[in-house]
Amino acid sequence: MKNYFIFILKSAFFDFSRNKGRTFLTSLGILIGVLSVVLLIAFGLGLKKYINDQFESLGSNLLRVLPGKILQNGSFRGGSSGALNNIRFEEKDIVSLERLKSVELVVPVFTRSVTVSVGKGTEAGDLYAANEGVFIALNAKAQYGTTFTKSDVEKRSKIVVLGPKIAEKLFGTEDQALDKNVKVEGQTFKVTGVLESKGGGGFGGPDLDSFVYMPFRTAYVFNTDKKIFAIIVKAKTDISLDQAKEEIKTALLKRYKEDDFSVIDQAELLGAISSIFAIMNTILVAIAAISLIVGGIGIMNIMFVTVTERIKEIGIRRALGARKNDILYQFLIESVILSLLGGLLGVLLAFIIVSFIQKLFPAYIDVNSVALALGVSSLIGIIFGVFPAKKAADLSPIDAIRYE
Amino acid sequence: MINLSHIWKEYQLDQELVFTALKDINLTIKDGELCSIIGPSGSGKSTLMHLIGLLDKPSRGTIFIDDKDISRLNDDTISTLRSEFVGFVFQQFNLMNKLTVLENILLPTIYARKKLEYDIDDYAQSLIEQFGLSGKEHSYPNKISGGQQQRVAIARALMMKPRLILADEPTGNLDSKTGQEILSLLSELNKKENMSVVIVTHDPNVASKTKRRITIVDGKIQ
Repeated sequence: MKNYFIFILKSAFFDFSRNKGRTFLTSLGILIGVLSVVLLIAFGLGLKKYINDQFESLGSNLLRVLPGKILQNGSFRGGSSGALNNIRFEEKDIVSLERLKSVELVVPVFTRSVTVSVGKGTEAGDLYAANEGVFIALNAKAQYGTTFTKSDVEKRSKIVVLGPKIAEKLFGTEDQALDKNVKVEGQTFKVTGVLESKGGGGFGGPDLDSFVYMPFRTAYVFNTDKKIFAIIVKAKTDISLDQAKEEIKTALLKRYKEDDFSVIDQAELLGAISSIFAIMNTILVAIAAISLIVGGIGIMNIMFVTVTERIKEIGIRRALGARKNDILYQFLIESVILSLLGGLLGVLLAFIIVSFIQKLFPAYIDVNSVALALGVSSLIGIIFGVFPAKKAADLSPIDAIRYE
Repeated sequence: MINLSHIWKEYQLDQELVFTALKDINLTIKDGELCSIIGPSGSGKSTLMHLIGLLDKPSRGTIFIDDKDISRLNDDTISTLRSEFVGFVFQQFNLMNKLTVLENILLPTIYARKKLEYDIDDYAQSLIEQFGLSGKEHSYPNKISGGQQQRVAIARALMMKPRLILADEPTGNLDSKTGQEILSLLSELNKKENMSVVIVTHDPNVASKTKRRITIVDGKIQ
């Protein structure tokens, strides 16, 4: 039994080393397929981790109250969510939610894009108007100076708190921003604080580090309708999120209809976002998998050539007592090795590429994707090797041994 | 030991034309017999050898091994029988260039279906010594002489301790001196091991070395 595998592997590798170029090119097809599949999975995993981290950094026990029905069966509701028909939350909703027993704090949020300038330098930024509770809810602390207070909100103080990225862009270094004036859409505000970095950003996710935070009522100058885009609610820690959610719903149902608003917790939102990315990722991986099939066809092609080149050998082996299945397995093993070789190189290359990408993005390769890649490449070796191997096995011994 | 009874071998060349390679062959080879099958090329001697060697099946007629009809057995059973019953020696040696001398000799054992009662490594080593191949165990076939290659082929044929050695023009690719050596090796095996040896040849000088000569002309035994 030991000799069986040694002799068969030796035959295989003899053939591979005699046809190095051919072997490499054949494996290359699988290499490219495996590489693209593994890379895409690594990106998908990285994206999922990134989103997770972002949400985790936002603090726990948070609920978001949004106008309109956002989620359906755990996914974002497509189609006619009807932004035009949406209700608009008002200040009295905030007040009524603040009265609830299960609620620790309520933060109205209004956002819009603005231009921010210091002297001659101008940057595009996002205004994030909220009350003082936002820093507790988002778990954001001031690195320099202080965050704004309840009285700042009520007195409409002309101040802003900057995220570290925008502070650095505007002032060169973060600490330079403190107590300086910035112009937001041409109006002057004093910087009273710069937040600690929360990390993340890019890829369309919320980048807390780039926001210009402004007391909610101060921002009325940019929000003349006093719109509230969303309400962040932090539930008391000893209260379950579901209980808080029910209380909020009951309170809001006094004014609005069931479908007019949504109360979503982090997990739901995360689940919904993740499911979108998961679908996208699956589609991409499926497209990449087509290249694996092409690679498999390459293997089949070469295995047919190999079988033809080795008819004489097949005949000798049959004369020595090899059964049809012995020949079948021999060529199957060869095509699996050929395919696995490509798979291994593909995984190796994917690891190298991912290690470079990791500096920019938290993509990573897990055990499952390595197992999947190697499993799939073995499977391809078997599927696309079986026809050539069958052809070899079905040769009549007499025709094979006579073949010159 | 092996008995061919009313064997015909026909090849369908096209829809109407049938080529008859063997016509009503009746032949028995006994245990321990040394014989030659001689005939000009195209006489059907190779076809006959392939039938005796269980590489091919007759169109009509029956082949018995120890009075057991083997002509209707399935491919796997025939392969197993081939591995245990017969050892081939070819004109072209037909060694595997990718395997060493020792590995070539051991090759038939990987296809053995039963547990062999002897130690294959010891036996292979004894064959190597017996055939003067010591020191060449780890050489590759293309690095040794033709005579040595044919001795490796004979050792390989003996590895499964078959009852019959079938040698197809074993001296055809060798100079006459080396050819003589190979022939005496084969007849020695026949004498010492009481093994049946069938040599297929077109050369009357080779055939003259065997007691029994089966002459075949136009598919018929003369």
